[in-house]
Amino acid sequence: MPPMRTAAGRNKKPPPEGFEDIEDTLLEFQNKMKDAENASHDGKKKHEMIWPIFQITHQRSKYIYDMYYEKEAISKTLYDWLLKNGYADAMLIAKWKKQGYEKLCCVRCIQTNETNFRSTCICRVPKKTLNESQDIQCVNCGCRGCSSGD
Amino acid sequence: MADIPVRPPAGLPALAPGWTEHSAPSGHVYYYNKETKKSTYVRPIVEIHGLQQQHAAPRPPAPQAPFGANPNIGHVNHVASNNQLNPNFQPPNFRFGGPAQEPFQNAPQHSNPRGDHRGGHRGGFNNFQDRRRQPEDKPKHRSDIPNCAPWVLVKTKLGRRFVWNKDTNESFWKFPPHVMKAVMDFDHKEREKKERREHGQPSDEEDTAMAEVEADLAAVEEEMEKQIVRVDGEVGMDDDSEYEEVEVTDDEGEEANKPPKRQRTEEPTEDQAMEMGEDDIAWQLAQMEAMEEGDFDEEDEEEGLPLTEEDCKALFKELLDDTRISPYVPWDKVLENDGLYEDERYKALPTMKARKDCFDEWARERIHYLKEQKANQQTLDPRIPYLALLHKYATPKLYWPEFRRKYKREMKDSKVTDKVKEQLYRDHIKRLGLKQPELRSDLSNLLKAQPLALLNGSTTLETLPPSILTDLRFISLPASTRDSLVGAYISTLPPAPEGAFASAEEEAEVIRKRAERGRRERALAERERRVQEDRRKQERDLAYGMGRLREEEAEIERAMKFGKDGLKGQLGS
Repeated sequence: MPPMRTAAGRNKKPPPEGFEDIEDTLLEFQNKMKDAENASHDGKKKHEMIWPIFQITHQRSKYIYDMYYEKEAISKTLYDWLLKNGYADAMLIAKWKKQGYEKLCCVRCIQTNETNFRSTCICRVPKKTLNESQDIQCVNCGCRGCSSGD
Repeated sequence: MADIPVRPPAGLPALAPGWTEHSAPSGHVYYYNKETKKSTYVRPIVEIHGLQQQHAAPRPPAPQAPFGANPNIGHVNHVASNNQLNPNFQPPNFRFGGPAQEPFQNAPQHSNPRGDHRGGHRGGFNNFQDRRRQPEDKPKHRSDIPNCAPWVLVKTKLGRRFVWNKDTNESFWKFPPHVMKAVMDFDHKEREKKERREHGQPSDEEDTAMAEVEADLAAVEEEMEKQIVRVDGEVGMDDDSEYEEVEVTDDEGEEANKPPKRQRTEEPTEDQAMEMGEDDIAWQLAQMEAMEEGDFDEEDEEEGLPLTEEDCKALFKELLDDTRISPYVPWDKVLENDGLYEDERYKALPTMKARKDCFDEWARERIHYLKEQKANQQTLDPRIPYLALLHKYATPKLYWPEFRRKYKREMKDSKVTDKVKEQLYRDHIKRLGLKQPELRSDLSNLLKAQPLALLNGSTTLETLPPSILTDLRFISLPASTRDSLVGAYISTLPPAPEGAFASAEEEAEVIRKRAERGRRERALAERERRVQEDRRKQERDLAYGMGRLREEEAEIERAMKFGKDGLKGQLGS
């Protein structure tokens, strides 16, 4: 995930109109992300450390996706600007538009090339095909199941 | 209902001379006659013979009539035969499985035979299971008949009615002519009242409300009753053919001509009081209460305003409106708002998913609305922000080009043309050179010139009309003095006139919305009340069940203690 570009840096150009409406929420996400980055790693597994990062990215992307596609609250220019500045993950949003991927947790979980048997992550398996009382949490992003049927 | 005594009343009819009252080791009360050396469970009363032989008029469940002991049990058969001859006969349809002294073929057609056998042995240790399952009739509601003084109209649980004379203690299924007239009047009034209530007028006294619903209720109950009766009949009484004819009618006239099967079979329910301990009475009270409350419940259901899905959604949206949540926040953030859960309207929607959907819908609408408003505002007054800017920064020390250069950035998105800007600036600077009192009078003139529809008592400093905001006279004074002046002037104004809305349609719309909202909120409150009632009822049922359990245990205990010898002694005497 590329770091978010903020207005404080080299980019002095103010954000497009309508940004102030969602600014507070985005700031909150930003703070959460900072907390997650600075959280201590005591007693955590190596991969567990990055789960909150993925989760917050997912939430923020979902929020922007909702604002643009579901609620139509932000303009196309603002949406593009947000994507360009890394507020949302464009690749993830692209997947959400596909049938069957509506709830996809992260793009890594559908990378078949990265797995031993050319398969997707366990979190992509529908709950009903899993065994009863099988509690899963995927290694990539800590997802507990993101198949669209669930 | 409160009239029905639930414990053995203090004023039992006096014992016939020679009889004394005793209690058996089992706790039963029995009566013993020294002279005849007879004992009986049935309370012997003085004039009982004369009354029953001639009149054969077992007391109807007159509200203050004692139910503790039933003196009529043995005579119910006479009653049946006499009935046709005697129009005054008052069939008491109140059942209970008391001492079964009547012959079995005449036993209650729709009562559980087992119950009666048991009753025979145990003298009224009726178990509640039976009592509950079997249809039972008892006085439920009494109302005074207007203009017909001593007569009282009593409604039974099965929806039948009889009249009862308070003074003479007579009661009739068939209304005497003069009473009949009064009753008809009374009915008419009741019906009217009911209709009025259906039209949405809240009834202030619960009592009358209850009376009105009672009839409908009773009808329903009657239906159920019949079904129960049918089922019970199959269990096996010998007179099945007769059985079919058992019918509960509300018709006063017919009742007298019919062989009153029910009356033979049914005795007052209130026997429990006869030989039960305090706890029994306690839960019996609870039962009575439950019955009463049950009526209220059903009444509520009948009365309850319908709460459709749309209404629920609207309620939830109103809640969101009221909490002033920004429509731009995600759903999780909304849920962090504590005030949300405490509101009644939160529960209008049953599931979290429904709530989320509703929130999404609301947010979409709200965002749309906000956008529109913003667009409107900008089209309305491009000069307002510019004048505000002037008010803030303009000083006589700066010429227009200097001012423009200095506040270029602030003026960037202003839609006002440069020419207008300059003109306004120059005018404003000119006005700033004027004396304070002059500026003040100018401002008050401006305010006075506003029509009451635009500027009135309900206006605030934030909602001043654009006609004021776009006027130079408004910005000439420094903000502190100006605001206090305007505030003082507004406080002297009368409230907004009725026709302040832009059009009648708009006004109607607002009124309609308000009414809708009121209705929905009432409906929600109604539903909440019903839920509370249900919960209370359930709790009471639980308590009642516990009571029954205790009672059964006590019964078993008593049965264990009660040896055979004692029983023999009782029967033998």
